[in-house]
Amino acid sequence: MSAPTMQDLRIRLSRRSVLEGLGLVAAGLGLEVVLPSRAYAGPMPTSLPEVPTEGLRANVFVHVAPDGLVTIVCHRSEMGQGVRSSLPVLIADELGADMAHVKVVQGDGDEAYGDQNTDGSSSVRKIFDDLRYAGATARTMLVAVAAKRWKVSPAECEARDHAVFHKGTQRVLKFGELATDAAKLKVPEKQAVTLRPRSELKHLGKELPLLDGPDIVTGRAVFGADVKLPGMLTAVIARPPVAGGKVARYDATKALAVPGVRKVVELPAATKPFLFQPLGGLAVVADNTWAAMRGRAVLDVTWEGGDNATYDSEAYREQLLAVISKPGNVVRNVGDAEAALAKAATRVQATYNTPHLAHAPMEPPTAVARVEHGTCEVWAPTQDPQTARSEVAKAVGLDPSKVMLHVTLLGGGFGRKSKPDYVVEAALVAKAVGAPVRVQWTREDDVRHDYYHSTSAQRLEAGLDASGKVVAWHQRIAFPPIGSTFADATFAGAGEMGQGIVDLPLAIPAIRMENCEARAHTRIGWLRSVANIYHAFAVQSFIDELAHAKGADPRDTLLEVMGPSRIVTLKELGVAKVPNYGQSLDEHPVDTTRLRRVIERVTGLARWDERKQQGRALGLAAHRSFLTYVAVVVSVVKDANDHIRVDEAWIVADAGTIVNMERVRAQMEGAVVFGLSLGLYGAITMKDGATVESNFRDYRLARIAETPKKIHVDIIPSDGRPGGIGEPGVPPVAPALANAVFALTGTRVRELPLVKSVKV
Amino acid sequence: MSIRLRVNGTEHELDVDPEMPLLWALRDVLTLTGTKYGCGQALCGACVVHIDGAAVRSCVTPVRRAEGREVMTIEGLSPDGSHPLQKAWVDLAVPQCGFCQAGQIMTAAALLAKKPKPTDAEIDQSLAGNLCRCGTYTRIRSAVKKAAGLPNE
Amino acid sequence: MGLRSKALGIVLGAGAAGVTLALAFGAGCGGRAAHSAATKLPATEAQSLRAPQAFSSIGDKKERSRALFLEASRVMLHPRCVNCHPAGDSPTQGDDFQVHDPPVARGPADQGVPGLECTSCHQDRNVELARVPGAPKWHLAPKVMAWQGRTPRSLCEQLKDPARNGGKSLAELIEHSAHDELVGWGWKPGSGRVPAPGTQAEFGALVAAWVKDGAECPREESQP
Repeated sequence: MSAPTMQDLRIRLSRRSVLEGLGLVAAGLGLEVVLPSRAYAGPMPTSLPEVPTEGLRANVFVHVAPDGLVTIVCHRSEMGQGVRSSLPVLIADELGADMAHVKVVQGDGDEAYGDQNTDGSSSVRKIFDDLRYAGATARTMLVAVAAKRWKVSPAECEARDHAVFHKGTQRVLKFGELATDAAKLKVPEKQAVTLRPRSELKHLGKELPLLDGPDIVTGRAVFGADVKLPGMLTAVIARPPVAGGKVARYDATKALAVPGVRKVVELPAATKPFLFQPLGGLAVVADNTWAAMRGRAVLDVTWEGGDNATYDSEAYREQLLAVISKPGNVVRNVGDAEAALAKAATRVQATYNTPHLAHAPMEPPTAVARVEHGTCEVWAPTQDPQTARSEVAKAVGLDPSKVMLHVTLLGGGFGRKSKPDYVVEAALVAKAVGAPVRVQWTREDDVRHDYYHSTSAQRLEAGLDASGKVVAWHQRIAFPPIGSTFADATFAGAGEMGQGIVDLPLAIPAIRMENCEARAHTRIGWLRSVANIYHAFAVQSFIDELAHAKGADPRDTLLEVMGPSRIVTLKELGVAKVPNYGQSLDEHPVDTTRLRRVIERVTGLARWDERKQQGRALGLAAHRSFLTYVAVVVSVVKDANDHIRVDEAWIVADAGTIVNMERVRAQMEGAVVFGLSLGLYGAITMKDGATVESNFRDYRLARIAETPKKIHVDIIPSDGRPGGIGEPGVPPVAPALANAVFALTGTRVRELPLVKSVKV
Repeated sequence: MSIRLRVNGTEHELDVDPEMPLLWALRDVLTLTGTKYGCGQALCGACVVHIDGAAVRSCVTPVRRAEGREVMTIEGLSPDGSHPLQKAWVDLAVPQCGFCQAGQIMTAAALLAKKPKPTDAEIDQSLAGNLCRCGTYTRIRSAVKKAAGLPNE
Repeated sequence: MGLRSKALGIVLGAGAAGVTLALAFGAGCGGRAAHSAATKLPATEAQSLRAPQAFSSIGDKKERSRALFLEASRVMLHPRCVNCHPAGDSPTQGDDFQVHDPPVARGPADQGVPGLECTSCHQDRNVELARVPGAPKWHLAPKVMAWQGRTPRSLCEQLKDPARNGGKSLAELIEHSAHDELVGWGWKPGSGRVPAPGTQAEFGALVAAWVKDGAECPREESQP
């Protein structure tokens, strides 16, 4: 048999029989591909078959077939945030398509789609208009054909319900009847395409059905490890316990003696900066997962620790505390904080600590790869398919055009699956053994070899005047930065300082904020809401402390410190610029009107004025992140054994325009539980450079009985520009919890997780 | 050694290590991938299936335990997704990422088979071993009650 | 959340070498003629049990029976046994009596609750790679048979009371101790767990000797 070409592979992939062979047809994930037409002449996603077919392909996102089937690509990764149930509906609404005749397919990793990195809560906020244009362009072309047939002006036509209507005569042409002719037209320029008025986007802001729901509840949905190729082997990898360590020596005799184990492959050790390199180690490759696991268990290996082998997170905590006792780089300065503090009638000072966290998505990292005939094909649950593809290409020595990267559903991501080290592993092992390989991370691998959320220390000091007004604010921040994973960075970057530090609205005349040095000794990554977690924890806890220091209502103090309704200028912030999550400050200003509104709304819903009644207490926190404003109230009680329980929670968000109200509510509910997990239990500790925790037994997550009986979600109605959804719910949860615990017990928790200091 | 068992009504004879966890026999050998690996230590419940109607964590259950018995996975809960739990799960849009939900549903099915009208406390107790990192627990509770025909208050 | 915290429990310092058993008490205790000094038993290790013969130096049959029970109680009050004889509705785990994780409930038949029965995770033998312990008929001891927090004396009284020992006669108790498979798990708990001291046979012999000498219970303050 001669080597198949890339072209052959693409055609094969599009054939149903092959898909069935891969076990993917029943998936509903639709690895079937969008069929192109002649109309679109731009760059073609290399993952799509370059075979001419009928129908209109206005761009890489939309195809209208002559039989009326509209295919829409979801080019962002689905990890539970509901992107597949949201973006395609937006495109369909602009087009005027009926969702009953729309098929959603998952886009492969390809630059032709533009940015696919499903990260930073960006899928709606950054491409809302672009996706509408994708649908509107196809609509414009279909309308043009109908108008020509009827010899009327396009302005007299409207596209809705999967057809074009002539308003005057009630004549109708279905999309399918127009598709072939539309395909002959030149794709109009953006200026020639008009977006619909919002009122015509009939699903916008509604509760939309969960696209993958039926497949998920029947077990048909395809996640990373569910892809099976003919002749596929499974690899389980023994990685160096210390990031940057390597194999000193090994003996694979016992591992190879386990029935089913085929090979043990040594992978190259990772060197600093870690980037997205696999960590190295030994891959035990076997006929099935069980054999691979058993083989790894008896692998005789001695590790060399490398530079990080002395990392001890408890000792490091003390180091961070020492760092923030000294000045750092001033990142924000208003007035003279030092002088204002010196003159203050009262000074309040507090130090806050947070530990490393692991992402622990329910689906541990996994990927399937096949490297043959000068091509590589990969199936992976990845948040960033283009980076995964380019990293794989680099690792196996192929041009990226020879790498196909198919995106499966993600069993949770939370930022872990933005880092494709595990995808590269699959390609490396597949190449080494000359067969398709699935790399399966165990839970222990996941907990012990993460790109960890950073550990932090902050020192806050405020000065109050004689009337109790806050007149000075001084904050020092230290945490090993994400930049350490990509270069030799020891100071937090602008992006991290932009998450609740330089953009924090404070109506205080003297402010100084300092970024202090902290060197990383493990792989640092980003986890759902990133630096906002520790920044909001410290700031929102501290404001609560200020309220108690002056004997005021914490809500009133929060509103006072955030200040009156206004657009906060750079001048007021005392900075030259704010990163603003990559979007303009003109379109997304720091708007305290919105912040105040969510605070007022959430405290109203939670009956804040009755906050200490019947053995329970409420805690409040609010935070702007990813251009969305969120306020949370948590109610805590003591159970019969004197343990703290969270019995109810309220979360109010102003995220601007909402695409899918139902998934937005789900994200806010989930954010509360995610925030409780990290607030109550989350901690990764390191000793001798290695992670101490290993599984859910010692890396605890909130379980059903620890979840509030009710999580009330309220979304502020808005037609403003959309903000992020997946992450902004998380940051206020832990400080709201800590503030509630203080209100109930008088114990002020300044170090997460709570389980270290409070009976929970 | 070969193991004979029925899975979702179909007889199988598997030539595998009898100590292989049922999870891997289902996933790797029978390609029934609806049952998920989440922790391998019976801590998360993503791998729950039924043996003769009782919920078991298939990641720690040697396949030999299923010898001569009836295994049911999420694929066999109903032919078409019409089990009351599956319908309630879709109606209330319980899943987020969806990875844990097969285990949640299979555990809930075992609960309802023995307790058709469970209390809130019974739901929490029976599902105590099923983790959901996305945090869908409040909807899981509601969906179990909906499937049981109980009011959600 | 309360489920996870440390359960109240005893901490064992069982069987230190050269233990001196304070079998006797000063005059006035029960009006008996007091031994003037404690009886010295041969030394033993934390993981060993003294054989019944080691107690032959104790001339008084009742005292000997009490001493035999104290020795046997080193097994019964060991974490491997107590963890599944909890006083509450949740078993414990580890050597420090951590509440079982995941949080499981006793259920009406001491076998868990629907969907989360003991045997939904625990198999008929230990699962080594996953470290899930197992033995045939894995379940909790009924609440009346709770051992958590007991002194050897209260344990002894409980054990002799058919209402609180599973309806067993003393002969059946000997048989159960010496041969029951679930009891036997205590000596083969799998890697990473400290087994109960001695062997099941030695334990059975101690229980038999204790019964033979009158099944006397040690005094409240007596500890092994």
